[in-house]
Amino acid sequence: MRRYFVTCLSVLLLIANVSYSHAKPLNIPVVYYKLPNGLKVVISEDHIAPVVTVAVYYNVGFRLEPKGRTGFAHLFEHMMFQGSANVKKFEHAKYVEANGGSLNGHTDFDYTNYYQTMPSNRVELGIWLESDRMRSLDISEENLKNQQNVVSEEVRVNVLNQPYQFFEWISLWENAFTNWNNSHNGYGELSEINAATIEDVRSFFKTYYAPNNAVLTIVGDVDANEVKKMVEKHFASIPTQPMPPRADLTEPAQTKEKRVSQTDKLANLPALATGYHIPPQNSPDFPAMALLVQILQGGESSRWYQRLVKEKELTLDLSGGLNYFGNEFDYTGPMIMTTRTTYKPGHTADEVIKEMDAVIAELTSKGVTDKELADAKIRYRSNLYDQLESGQGKAHLLSALALFRDDPQQINSLLTPFENVTAAQVKAAAAKYLVATNRTVIDRTPEAKQQPKSGQ
Amino acid sequence: MKTILAIILFTATAFAQQKTPPPPGAARPLNLPKITEKKLANGLTVVLAPLPNVPKVTVILTFRSATTASDREAHPGIAQVAASVANEGTDTRSSKQIKEELRSIGGTLGLGSDADSTTMNASSLSEFSTRLFDLMSDVAQHPSFPDDEVKLAQENTIQQIRAGRADPGFLVNERFQKAVFGNHPYSFVVPDEKSISALTRNDLRAFVTKYYIPNASHLVVVGDIDVDKTFAEIEKAFGSWKGGTVPPDENPPVPTRDKRQIYFVNRPGSIQSAIYIGNVSIPRKDKDYFAIRTANTIYGGSFYSRLTRNIRESKGYTYSPFSNSNTQAKTGSFQAGAFVRNEVTGPTLLEIFYELDRMRVLPVTDEELNAAKEFSTGNFSVELASQFGLAGRISTIYTYDLDKNFINDFRPKVESLTAADIQRVAAKYFDTYRAAIVIVGDWEKVKDQVTPFGDVTIYDSEGNVVK
Repeated sequence: MRRYFVTCLSVLLLIANVSYSHAKPLNIPVVYYKLPNGLKVVISEDHIAPVVTVAVYYNVGFRLEPKGRTGFAHLFEHMMFQGSANVKKFEHAKYVEANGGSLNGHTDFDYTNYYQTMPSNRVELGIWLESDRMRSLDISEENLKNQQNVVSEEVRVNVLNQPYQFFEWISLWENAFTNWNNSHNGYGELSEINAATIEDVRSFFKTYYAPNNAVLTIVGDVDANEVKKMVEKHFASIPTQPMPPRADLTEPAQTKEKRVSQTDKLANLPALATGYHIPPQNSPDFPAMALLVQILQGGESSRWYQRLVKEKELTLDLSGGLNYFGNEFDYTGPMIMTTRTTYKPGHTADEVIKEMDAVIAELTSKGVTDKELADAKIRYRSNLYDQLESGQGKAHLLSALALFRDDPQQINSLLTPFENVTAAQVKAAAAKYLVATNRTVIDRTPEAKQQPKSGQ
Repeated sequence: MKTILAIILFTATAFAQQKTPPPPGAARPLNLPKITEKKLANGLTVVLAPLPNVPKVTVILTFRSATTASDREAHPGIAQVAASVANEGTDTRSSKQIKEELRSIGGTLGLGSDADSTTMNASSLSEFSTRLFDLMSDVAQHPSFPDDEVKLAQENTIQQIRAGRADPGFLVNERFQKAVFGNHPYSFVVPDEKSISALTRNDLRAFVTKYYIPNASHLVVVGDIDVDKTFAEIEKAFGSWKGGTVPPDENPPVPTRDKRQIYFVNRPGSIQSAIYIGNVSIPRKDKDYFAIRTANTIYGGSFYSRLTRNIRESKGYTYSPFSNSNTQAKTGSFQAGAFVRNEVTGPTLLEIFYELDRMRVLPVTDEELNAAKEFSTGNFSVELASQFGLAGRISTIYTYDLDKNFINDFRPKVESLTAADIQRVAAKYFDTYRAAIVIVGDWEKVKDQVTPFGDVTIYDSEGNVVK
């Protein structure tokens, strides 16, 4: 179907949340080391099927793209399929598919990734392809113009020609954050996407697409020792690059509620999005916050779903998450807990907010039940397994843990902090973070319109 | 947290950049799944396949008689509404109790209905498989369709369809199904508001009693399971489900198209044209299944396909052009499509047709054919490595009454195809001469680009003909 190649901020990896009743410990084999040029390498053998995933994750995403160049990190991702010294334009796709595989790339807040899944006896081909473009990307005016057109169509199909225009991401982030690196539109304004120059592309490549800013992850039916030799052969001579100082991603504390009203030319029904700033991943409050998100909006048993969709019959749906577009581990900068709901005509955003707040008030006064917390942990564990089921999902987690924590072995103990969360911590997290002054609310309503009778 | 790094102590400059792709290593064993088929006394077919990649279990229960065609004269859309409300209450469990039970077993359970069956897809941690089977059995046998849940589902379904009518993707698919399948039940996408509102709890209960029956159903279980133990659990959970009379197949023969026609859904304000082009193709069991599947891979069904190279990588008209071969019990459809900015609507139609006709008139190259074969067989292995992928593949064998060796035969059947096979099916089924051209866009902005391609009927987003 459409939209499966070179996606931007996909909603694939909703890992969710939580812990264990009596789970067997995970025992995923992880080999981790660094080449002298700084490239991080993760190898995880898995012999259940004759397939392998080869992935490269670069430590750069929307947040680090240049000012005046919104959407550039994603445009650059497209350029990585336009050829390198020994691979002609678009032939990366040809090599992978003609060898029985599939491929994609994705740009996110804090990383950009490239991956292929193939029969495992083709593992060296995947490694070679990734090394060739890391070392010697071929950049031409003609290909840049071509991909500016392609990306413009991507933005049209996924944002500009759609009802709601992805407001639960783009508008919510623009309003919830004040630091440009966090707040700007990562899909990009068409004018800025099309203003990018070949010099921009060269400079971004040299700055960020260096072995010392990346992790190479190989998961599947392979021999780790053989793979090490292949990695050495193809990646070891790619030179290190000096890294610029990291941009300041810090965000001032929010002190006042933000409320925004928008009208929508294309939508037929009103919708609401809310975002609450959440604590950083290394905060002791973080695991409790993750479980709180589960309890509030994880599935149809959750408190907000039950209140809004079932009891009060105010909204048609409810979706969201702690990191709506990824998981708890695949980002580094400031993050918001997102909620999105389409509400019924004849009602108002205030009615919806009032019920959401009433649910929060119950949590902050009475807390959660032991059963609810235990179930949230089980659900979290089950969702983690869903991600670990595929080579691609496992490669994603290993890469994020290597990239952001320099410790992919953590994959085997990921559940522990969530397992240890107590009901008191969940209650405290609700009281501390789910306050109106910490949130942004966007109410998006259909523009009053009469349907013109076409062709008359 | 710190970890110990094993740094490899080689010198970094020992190897120069390799100029040619490394050859494949020795082929690895395929590890084809071990599949066990059994039957319960009530006629339920049970198929089990261990795949212990994670400690979970994935289950698909398929009611083969509950289709879009079932009971459609009296109650159009009833199969779809029944599927959406069946897990909102049983004789002994409320909706909320069902959702809470799922939460406590790390589970999911949802139903959906299409032209050939209704399916219940479910999963849970494997340690809770008996509780999952109990819940599935309860939903299959005793859905109670509480009045308040039916009413809420009716209201919400109507609103969701209204919301969908703002989405060009929804509109183009809906009009395409109607254009290709005419009045056949396969043209059904969503029920109209009147039909939804007219349904009662008694209608839904009668529907389920008649069509959710074990002797026209199959249950596929894949995951971290022991076959004998799991089968015993299933026998316990589903053994008391009573068989019924298998209703006759209510699907009529499928109409054929006799001319090219444009179906334009006007969506004023659109900045893109959403384009689907296609025609009726073959049933799932047809001998040409593998040939048309492979022709599709070469045409537009893979990233390095002809269509993508042309209108994306060469011309920059679009982001994600595609083609699909959809095969169902009675027939199928082939479709090509792209979402493009208004200015290149006509040029895109031209290129889609050019590439279709090229497939019909000239043979594909050996290189293309071999690549497509590798693509199919390699990605088939990836599909079989996921619990839901394997369960889905097994389930279709029973839904469409395919050869039981379908999975093992997949590779040799694909590998035996020739360029002549591909050209023959393309000539027949990529039928540009009688194609349906469906476009959702702004008529005033693109009409001059569209009209050279055929006669036009214009619709509004509600499906009314306006011109």
